[in-house]
Amino acid sequence: MLPSLGAIFFSLFGLFAAVPVQARSSTGNSVLVVLQPDLKRDNFTIFFDNLEKRGYDLTLRTPEDDALPIIRDDNPTYSHIILFAPDIKSFSQDVTPQSLVTVLNAGTNLIVALSPTQSPVFTLASEFSLILPPPSTPLISHFPARDSPPSVIPVAVPPKHPLLTPNTPPVWYSGIPFAHGNNPLLVPILHAPAESFASDTDSDAGAEALFDAAERGGEGLWAGSAMGIVTGFQTRDNSARVTWVGGIELFTDAYAHKSLPSGEKSGNEQFARDVAAWTFQENLVLRIDSITHHLLNETVPREHYTINENIVFEAHISRYDSERGWSPYSGLHDLQLEFTMLDPHIRTALLPVTSKLGLYQAAFRIPDRHGVFKFVLDYRRRGWTILKATTTVPVVPPRHDGYPRFLSAAWPYYAGAISTSLGFFVFAALWLAGDDKERKKGKATKTE
Amino acid sequence: MAGPKSSSNASKRAAATAAATPSKPAPSSSSAPAPASASTVALHTLWAAYLDATPSRLKLVDAFLVFLVLSGVIQFVYCVLVTSFPFNAFLAGFASTVGQFVLTASLRSQVNAKNRALFKDVSPERAFADFVVGSVVLHFFVFNFLG
Repeated sequence: MLPSLGAIFFSLFGLFAAVPVQARSSTGNSVLVVLQPDLKRDNFTIFFDNLEKRGYDLTLRTPEDDALPIIRDDNPTYSHIILFAPDIKSFSQDVTPQSLVTVLNAGTNLIVALSPTQSPVFTLASEFSLILPPPSTPLISHFPARDSPPSVIPVAVPPKHPLLTPNTPPVWYSGIPFAHGNNPLLVPILHAPAESFASDTDSDAGAEALFDAAERGGEGLWAGSAMGIVTGFQTRDNSARVTWVGGIELFTDAYAHKSLPSGEKSGNEQFARDVAAWTFQENLVLRIDSITHHLLNETVPREHYTINENIVFEAHISRYDSERGWSPYSGLHDLQLEFTMLDPHIRTALLPVTSKLGLYQAAFRIPDRHGVFKFVLDYRRRGWTILKATTTVPVVPPRHDGYPRFLSAAWPYYAGAISTSLGFFVFAALWLAGDDKERKKGKATKTE
Repeated sequence: MAGPKSSSNASKRAAATAAATPSKPAPSSSSAPAPASASTVALHTLWAAYLDATPSRLKLVDAFLVFLVLSGVIQFVYCVLVTSFPFNAFLAGFASTVGQFVLTASLRSQVNAKNRALFKDVSPERAFADFVVGSVVLHFFVFNFLG
């Protein structure tokens, strides 16, 4: 019922949304950009122009401006928020870590920039299992050899990452690294270079302390490629996306134009576009259109099923494409279906059906166990929308007349019961027949 | 009618010969294996006495009891060795033999002339009628439960 309502909502929504510029995002095109006063829109022309070209409707404001609150009547005002205010200590009433979490729960996506300066955003980051270094310790790397200061680093982009364009050139980066907590909802996008470290000084004067720290097994040293510098996060319940970026300069025109030590153009523009596209739910977005279940060789769901029956579970799954919108998608080959009552009694592959696009099907026999069961479809992959659907179905034992009868294994018992009855009749007949003779005989013996 | 009579006659004859045969070698049995022959003699005597002294009606009852015991043992062995599924069928089949055995044994003790003193107010006809009613009820439940 819920998916069908959702489908109606989406189709209605699609009718209205189709009239203005085609939005590339699956969740809406209004974007709030909170820009700190010392930064101007002109610093990020390429990034913002790319967003507007993709149909987004940008609203710029400063952190202390409270023109249009981000939540109004418990509804988020914007579909997406870009928080480019890493150095600001005081925000207006409506932009607080709490309100950001609230809009996130309502499905708003966030891009949050950090900087070496301690700010309210720092405390918010730790809520997302990101462990930030001490304040004023930016990421530093002396490799590769280049003209720029050691805190401005070209970072290689992973060539095969689900949400990045393949073979993006390295990006210029300056900002802080952070460690990832043990949270499966995190989606690491860009890691710090292996030879980089976080330090409060970029001169060689402090090198001795760093060297000592490295000698002690890296204790107290923020270094290495395990650290993240751009990391995504998907919320558990509604798959709203948050992207944490350790430095705001990644998005600037200056870094986009800055050429790499090798001489080629930096990948900042492409990378920023990819990150924004993922965060604003343009790609790797899936949804379950409908789920149904029925007996094998039937088409209509039953109110309840009987143990040991063969049933079929079907799910229709769509994928969002920023060009064409929602369309049925059969590309998932690792979907699993669980049939659970407290524990999964059945866990089986939910495979795409070749004849029909977007249809996934699993057929199995209900276990020999009655109770209230659930079909659980739970698909979690890094970067992809979480797919989750549960349907409850009662499984009952056979009715009193639903059991098999006249089993061949039971014939000895049937024969036993029948022969006892026949024996009883024969016995009674002989008894009654023998009565006269006995009496006569008795008389005879008496007379004798 | 003819059956019980002829069989009882035949068994009487057999009993007579059985009683007669062991009596002949008995005096010369000192060299033969003593305990075996003694128990054989005892069994023979018992069997002869049973055939001789038991009314033919009680023999009929005993034959039915033996049949019920065999049937029950066969079903139990099948249940243990082969399958107890479906269990209700086993219970019904086994219970029918056991129940029929109990009813028949009751009948036997009530119609036995030697127990006349114990069942003064129960005539053999009344005992048989009770037996029939009890059996019909038993078989009704057995076939209901047989599945």
